[in-house]
This record gives sequence, structure tokens and C-alpha cells, in this order.
Amino acid sequence: MKKTAFTLAAASVLALSVQAALAQDKPAPPPIWKQGQPENLKDSKLAPNPGKNTETPASEIPIDKLKLPKGFKAEIWATGVVGGRAMTMNDDQTKMWVGTRGMGRVYEVTNDGDKRTVKVLAEKLTQPTAVYANGALYVFAIDKVLRYDNAAKGASGQPVDMTKAFDLPPEQHHNWKYVRFGADKKLYVPFGAPCNICEPPTKEYAQIRRYNLDGSGKEVIATGVRNTQGFDFHPKTGELWFTDHGRDWLGDNGPEDELNRLAKPGQNFGYPYCHAKGIVDPDVAKGKKDACKDVTMPVTTMGPHAAVMGLQFYTGTMFPKEYQGVAFVARKGSWNRTKRFGYDVVTVKAGDDGKGAKVTPFMTGFMDPKANTFWGRPAYLAQLKDGSLLVSDEQLGAIYRISYSKK
Amino acid sequence: MRFAVEGRWALLAALFISAAQAQVPDKLAACAGCHGADGNSAIAGTPSIAAQPRIFLENYLVMSREGVRGPAVMQALLKGVPDKDLIALAVHFSKLKSKTSEEKTDQKLFNRGKEIAAKNRCASCHEKNYQGREQMPRLAGQREEFLAEMLLQYRQNKRPGGDTMMNATLYGIPEADFKALAHYFSRLK
Repeated sequence: MKKTAFTLAAASVLALSVQAALAQDKPAPPPIWKQGQPENLKDSKLAPNPGKNTETPASEIPIDKLKLPKGFKAEIWATGVVGGRAMTMNDDQTKMWVGTRGMGRVYEVTNDGDKRTVKVLAEKLTQPTAVYANGALYVFAIDKVLRYDNAAKGASGQPVDMTKAFDLPPEQHHNWKYVRFGADKKLYVPFGAPCNICEPPTKEYAQIRRYNLDGSGKEVIATGVRNTQGFDFHPKTGELWFTDHGRDWLGDNGPEDELNRLAKPGQNFGYPYCHAKGIVDPDVAKGKKDACKDVTMPVTTMGPHAAVMGLQFYTGTMFPKEYQGVAFVARKGSWNRTKRFGYDVVTVKAGDDGKGAKVTPFMTGFMDPKANTFWGRPAYLAQLKDGSLLVSDEQLGAIYRISYSKK
Repeated sequence: MRFAVEGRWALLAALFISAAQAQVPDKLAACAGCHGADGNSAIAGTPSIAAQPRIFLENYLVMSREGVRGPAVMQALLKGVPDKDLIALAVHFSKLKSKTSEEKTDQKLFNRGKEIAAKNRCASCHEKNYQGREQMPRLAGQREEFLAEMLLQYRQNKRPGGDTMMNATLYGIPEADFKALAHYFSRLK
């Protein structure tokens, strides 16, 4: 009895001091990231790979190390796009815009056919990306949306601040955005889970939304999406297919990244309870029955910690016929894995309904598996009018062009 | 533009240069004015930069030049400075030796900081002795008040340009714990 009283008193003191601490200083609710780092990995040295934020001249890019199937060739198309990620182009492809993360820049690349010139269009932004839509250029930072009107021949002048209309939540982690303009004239915008593994602090995360161009008509079209870094619309069905990163700190072999297909708005893709093809989360789904109930399973898993990024359905005519309608996916490469994985571009061949998916390496050589090192990180893809394919390398700030010739 | 940049360096060098720093190239002298000739800062709120990992310094310098990180004075100083100069500065300071705080240690606070660091697995990225590696800064021997302030800025999403994983790592940690962590790290060699 006495002991109980003491324990209760101690507990209430503790509760009071916790309350007092909270009153002074209100930290975000505690989905502590390390929650996902189990005891047996507590001395792990795995950590994110450092990016490179200085310019790499073409002479220092080991392009000859890249390997492609017979008949394909890679060349350096642009350099000086330091930290460059997703690419978006105007209709005649004379202008390209490329966003970054830490650098805070948006580049405008002028393509005159033979050569490319790179300038900084916007700077000092928090992890900006760009999307060309309906004659205007939209720049999405984590905390800001800007619109450059009349950008068909290049963006210039003061952009219109559209931030208020888009209702962006404040957390930064996993909230760099890949944005696409759909055939329905809407902007597709993801909001990642702001942690490795947690119940998101509010309902504004772990989802994909779409908006009208002016920010109105906000609609959540997919939930349970941890961290999608790229998507494309299927050339036949028009459905949205998207990549998604699996959680970290569950060991070298998974849960694997995903390639998903949104067959109808409102589908749930499992995060935080259900990963890959039905792996129940050991941290947050403990004791939860039916963690995978009503969860849409991926078209295919994409490899452990692979960091699946950009996705591009091939619709050109330059590549051989078997590449028609095939999905190209860039895998930027792992950090949370003892042996590096990914660092390549793969093709995914699947039925229009996503069935029977087969993943095949297409562009390799960015990584040296023996030494467990890498020199480049393929991030995003874009198709040129002649049917060649562009690949951005975020590590070296370069863009490569892949072409095909029978000879 | 190029001329203006050189001019600014020269002016700062002239302001801060002393006999002891006479051999240090002009550009380094400007850094030494605040961060100490040996890269160990004696000014509150100004970080020590000696023995910081090269990539961390390089990233910081680029982000400051880009105007996304660091105080206005750093951004102004670095505006327009080319990559190759930033790389040279990073290499230089990464090779200097770090000095530990000589201020009195509060053993209780030190122990608490040690526990909090272990619980949050800070060593997973910042290394066992907290000397940092690659893009992840050295914490050992850093100025106490600077560490406490940076931790808070990270948690409040006010420190852009880095990997946001650090922001997420600090969710839910109260400011009092940051003070203990800062006290502990600053006393390490």
C-alpha cells in the first residue's frame, strides 16, 4: 500500500514535470525516427549517402562505365545542373526546368538541339521542383508554390505566389515533391510521411493529392503512400502509376520499394501498417489485426532500399518494338543496406492491369558492386521527341541521353 | 563580379589579419577573423570549424553562398565565390585540430547528455566519438551554445539545406534535452 502511494506520487510528479516541459516548449508529437532502428542495429554505421553540391565537368564523368543493352548508347547531354532532379519541358522541348533539394535552385536549361546552356531561374527555395503546365511554369517548394506565366518560350519576370491556394503542411522530411500535370488538367502532388515509420502527426501526409491549376478542388486520391518520388500516366489506360520507398531499419532485405498502380481514386497503399506485398510493420502495427486489409498491393516490388525515383512509360519509336509501353524506372540506390543495391535504370514490363510484371536492369555501371561504391545516382527520366530517353544524375548534376541505333 | 568578390576578401583579410596569421592565404584570414586562426571559435554563437568533415564544410559553404543556410554575414561573404575556392576552404579547415571547451563541466548535465545521445543513437551517423563523417558534422568539441541552438533550429524546420532526416530525428525531443546534449558534445575531444 505504502509502495503504491509512493509510486503514484512519483508518477504524478513525473507527469507534472512532463507537462511543465511541454508547456515551455512544444515539440512536434513524437514519432521518433529511431523507433524503427532495432536493438540489433543500434551500432549500425549505415547513414544516408552524401550528395555532391559542386559542379562536375563532363571530363570528370566516367560515362564509359555505363552499360546498356546492345544497340543503345549513352552520352552526356548536359552538365552543371548541380543537384538536379526531376525534369519538365515546354511543348517544343527547347526549354527544360530542373529542381533540386538542398541547393534550393530551379534551373532553366535551353536546348538548341546541338548544345545545352544552363541558368538559374529561381533560388533560395526550400527543396523546389518544377512542372510545366498549360503554358505556365509551376514551382513547388515544401512551403511555397510559385507560377511563372507565359513560360512557353522560357520563364521570366516575377512569379505569382500561389502558396495560399495549395494548403501545404509544414513538415519537411520526405516532402520534396514530384509534381505532374495530368490530361485532366490537374496537378498531381504527393505529401510524404515525415518520418521513417510513424503514424503521421496529422492526416495531411502519406498521400497523393490532385488540384485544379489554381489550387482549388483539392482531392486526396491515394493514401498510405510513404514516399513516392515519381509517377507517370499509363499510355493506354491513363491510370497513375507511381513509385514508393519502403521503410528503413528492418534489415538488408526489405521491405522492398514498390511500383504501384492507382486504379481508382481513394485507394490505400498500406503505410504505415502494411509494406511491400503484405509485410505487417513490426513497430506500429503491433497487435493490429488486418493490417493489410483493403490495402492495394503493388504491381511489383522494386528491390530492398533501392530508392525508386522517376518513372516514364516509353511511347517513342526510336527504341525497338519490345520497349513500347514499357515503364522505365530509375533506382537512385540504397543507403540503409550493407551491400549497395540499385544505382541503375530498370524496365518494368507488365499488363495494362499491372499483372505479370517483370523487372529487368537496363542501364547499369553507376555502382561498383565489388568495392561497394558508386559514382552516379540516376534519378529522373524524360523522353525527347526523337524517342531518345534522358536520365538525370543527381549526384554529378548531369543529364545523359540514351539513344538506339540498329547498327 | 569576380573583381568585387576578390575585393571583399581583401578587405576582410586586411581587417582581421594578424602577425600569427600572416602565412594564411587572404581568403582564409577572413574566416579566421570569426572562427579562429586554428578553426576553433572563441566567439559565442560562432561555430568551430576545425576538423569538421570536408564534405560537411563544402556543403555548408555552398548552401551559404546559395543563400539558403547560415547567417546573413556568411551569405554576403560567400556570394559569388566559385566552387573551387569553397572546396579549397573546406579542405583546409577539415585538416585542422579541434579543441575541446575549457569551460567548467557540469558532471550531472554531461551524464544526462551522454544518456540522451545514446538513446537517440546519435553515434549511428556522427560516429562513436562524435567526430562526424562525410556530410555529417563533428559534434565533439563544438561550442555548447551553438550546438543547442542548431538542434532547436533543426527541430523547428529552420535549418534548411541539409538532409531532412535530421529534422525527423529530433521530433519530440524537448529543448532541455538539447541543452544536455550540447553540454556533453562540447566537452568531448
